[in-house]
Amino acid sequence: MRTIPTSYLLNRLLTLFLTVFIAATLIWIIPRLSPVDPAEIMLGRMAAGAGAVADSEAILAQLRANFGLDDPLFIQYLKYLCNTVTFNFGLSTATFPTPVSALIANALPWTLGLMILSLIVTFIIGNLLGALMVWEESPKLVKVAIPAAMVFTSIPPILSGLLLMWIFAANLRWFPLTGAYGLTVEPGWTWEFAISVLHHGFLPALSIVIVTFGFWALGMRGLMITVQGEDYVTLAKAKGLKPRYILYKYMIRNAILPQITAFALKVGLLIAGQVLVERIFAYNGMGKLLYDAILDQDFPVIQGVSFVIILMTALSVFIVDLIYPFIDPRIRHEAST
Amino acid sequence: MSALTITDLSIDFPTTKGVVHAVSDLSLSVGRGRRVGFIGESGSGKTTTALAVMQMLAEPGRVAKGSIVLGDTDMLALNEEEMRKARLRRVSYIPQGAMNSLNPIMRIEDQLWDGITAHEGTTDRAELKRRSDEALESVGLPARVGRLYPHELSGGMKQRVCIALGVILTPDLIIADEPTSALDVVTQRHVMQTLKDVQAKIGAGLILIGHDMGLMAQSVDELAVLKDGVLVEHGETRQIIENPQHPYTRELISSVPLVGGESFLDDEIGAPPVNRGKPGVPLLEFKGVSKTYGNVTALQPMSFKLDGEVPKIISIVGQSGSGKSTMGSLMLGFNPPSTGQVLFEGQEIASMNAAKSLEFRKQVQAVFQDPYACFNPFYRVNHALRFPFKQFGYAKSEAHIQEKMEEACTAVGLDPALVLGRYPHQLSGGQRQRLIVARALMLSPKLLIADEPVSMVDASLRATILKNIYDLKDRYGISILYITHDLATAYHVSDYVIVLYQGHVAEAGPPEEVIGNPKHEYTQLLIDSIPWPDLDRSWGTPSTATEDAERLDRLARENKTEFRGRVPGFDLDVA
Repeated sequence: MRTIPTSYLLNRLLTLFLTVFIAATLIWIIPRLSPVDPAEIMLGRMAAGAGAVADSEAILAQLRANFGLDDPLFIQYLKYLCNTVTFNFGLSTATFPTPVSALIANALPWTLGLMILSLIVTFIIGNLLGALMVWEESPKLVKVAIPAAMVFTSIPPILSGLLLMWIFAANLRWFPLTGAYGLTVEPGWTWEFAISVLHHGFLPALSIVIVTFGFWALGMRGLMITVQGEDYVTLAKAKGLKPRYILYKYMIRNAILPQITAFALKVGLLIAGQVLVERIFAYNGMGKLLYDAILDQDFPVIQGVSFVIILMTALSVFIVDLIYPFIDPRIRHEAST
Repeated sequence: MSALTITDLSIDFPTTKGVVHAVSDLSLSVGRGRRVGFIGESGSGKTTTALAVMQMLAEPGRVAKGSIVLGDTDMLALNEEEMRKARLRRVSYIPQGAMNSLNPIMRIEDQLWDGITAHEGTTDRAELKRRSDEALESVGLPARVGRLYPHELSGGMKQRVCIALGVILTPDLIIADEPTSALDVVTQRHVMQTLKDVQAKIGAGLILIGHDMGLMAQSVDELAVLKDGVLVEHGETRQIIENPQHPYTRELISSVPLVGGESFLDDEIGAPPVNRGKPGVPLLEFKGVSKTYGNVTALQPMSFKLDGEVPKIISIVGQSGSGKSTMGSLMLGFNPPSTGQVLFEGQEIASMNAAKSLEFRKQVQAVFQDPYACFNPFYRVNHALRFPFKQFGYAKSEAHIQEKMEEACTAVGLDPALVLGRYPHQLSGGQRQRLIVARALMLSPKLLIADEPVSMVDASLRATILKNIYDLKDRYGISILYITHDLATAYHVSDYVIVLYQGHVAEAGPPEEVIGNPKHEYTQLLIDSIPWPDLDRSWGTPSTATEDAERLDRLARENKTEFRGRVPGFDLDVA
């Protein structure tokens, strides 16, 4: 078994750190380019709630001081960096005074559960289907999957979500319309709760699966066609190997390699892609949190969620970089140059 | 009893434009222990016939009539599962282009084992290991190779692994489809001897597919000459080589360039060569140039001056890995040298400014090995000809471009009406390679780097393309660096030959000296390794490989250079 050289590991870690650092800086800069003053928004919200606010100038100043908005930008930036390292994204302006990290901590497990479930299911179904589209021995029926995959890929997830809700939740009543778990069940490590979660998660997951499997299937199809023409597949056939064995060990095994890289990149993108799905299913995940935060111009939450997305993408790329040489012997852990 | 009997075999490819008869009424048998060569150019049906025996015809090919009997089994009557079981166990296939024939993500031994397991069901590791080690050893590879991955092996080693795989289940028939086409002469000889050796040991019949008459003459007992799907001549090798009946067979034999033989270039003394050099400034100069990649020395320090006043063809010959292509990429400025300077008309290539660099690109053109990879498949071939011509500011008008394209096509022996306006995939390899030469010619460069320009085209076309390149020298005053592993063609076209071994100049001088009468052992080895279409000339014995390996080892340590005379206008110096 190979081992990972320390210099390579350090190099990758440095890249990981730099990626996260640059991205964190960007998500700090971008909202500050917006002309909106979050203190004024809060004041507006208070005014809307109470009818009128006396001494608004003093309250504004107080709010700015509380959020550190009256510091020079550079100090704000340094404070932000220090806080980010400890996952302290400050307090939400919309649901003041809840810490952003608490909001994320509540939402993240839901999203990760939904996302990992749907991503893995899609990855397996999509790639298998893509492989079967090319394989000579597969049933003719699979060929039908090509137009189907293309149609589904071009549907926005919000529509597939609405369609599924209408069929399976509103008409057939097989699944609940919204929510992450039943109102009557107590969250905890019980079977009842677990079943409720799966029951509620099924439709949102399915709506993600049916619009994304085409991405994998069509990508895999292209890769498989290339692999099918390779000399080693011809030789495998000439060796009299069993067709199924050739499919797995010679074709899929080689064609899947670029898909694994794509998988790592998709991890981060998926939270963003899930925003509307979570929104229509009223699923309390990161997507809904981000959606609400954008509506409320809740900068700390937007920053926090964006940071988590970046961190997850960078981490999954980092992990794939480390494991790639183990799944493709031609790639080596190049020591840093 | 014969291992394989083919009777009245016809193979059709129904296409939308009508049925293509790839093979028509072919009858032939291969005796046990006999070696039969299928020779012909690409498209002659030789590979198609072999694939029909394996029932592995590419879609939409099908056997229209006839029978294929292996031993006493009617191969065409077998169902899919029975056919699968017959592959490898009764008839094995050694593919062309060993570079890519092994699964890149599986260890060598796993790829030997899965073949055994698929046919015998054995999964006992110790037993599998014993048999794979034995098979590797039989082709002269150490057992540790089994633990490696394909990318860790050289081309020759990969081809040996394929041979080991081909004999591991002792089949009745081995089909080897141009097994050595991607290998240099020295490796080719070793691999062919290994193949003959193991085939004789297991007593299988062998079908060797190829287009090189010399290689065939040295390797097989019987020859079957195919042209356009028809068997035009079949008989004992000696009889066919010495007394060919069919004109096509004669053509194949005469297309093999021989050292010292008659030249395939008809050297008409015409107008004196065009002089395009700058007096006093060498066209191309290496000053103490060397190149290393990491710890590997690709090229040891060397210096030369090519003055270019009288155009010359300088050949650089050697095996793969000898540093000859490194020299080419240094000259083209694709790679900076590790030490020393490469100068073009007195200017160092590495430090040229944008304008100088553009001028340099105009004046130095290249022809590469692979005529398939040189064209962008999305454009018509005109694009490849027109684009650089326009880009370098030569074009006066569309009509001028058209006229120049037609002129260049005619100069390389292509009919402009037939090739211009077509897509690359509609042309043959030979046509494409000639177009590449035409493209270079349109820019009327002063220097042409031709890196293995004919090693991927059929033997019968090689002479014509080389003649095209050769003509450029006198007619257009282009100096040419011809990089090749083929000493016989280098002998005929060059004014000066440099033999490289492991980045070091082994021997250099005029071709009549260096190739006609080699003094350096390495050059002798290269020449001995060429398969001649002459049965009375020995091509070595199975023990040659070991002797050669020892010889090569010793030569690598000696590092000496034989200078065999000079030609005016070219000076070589080795530090």
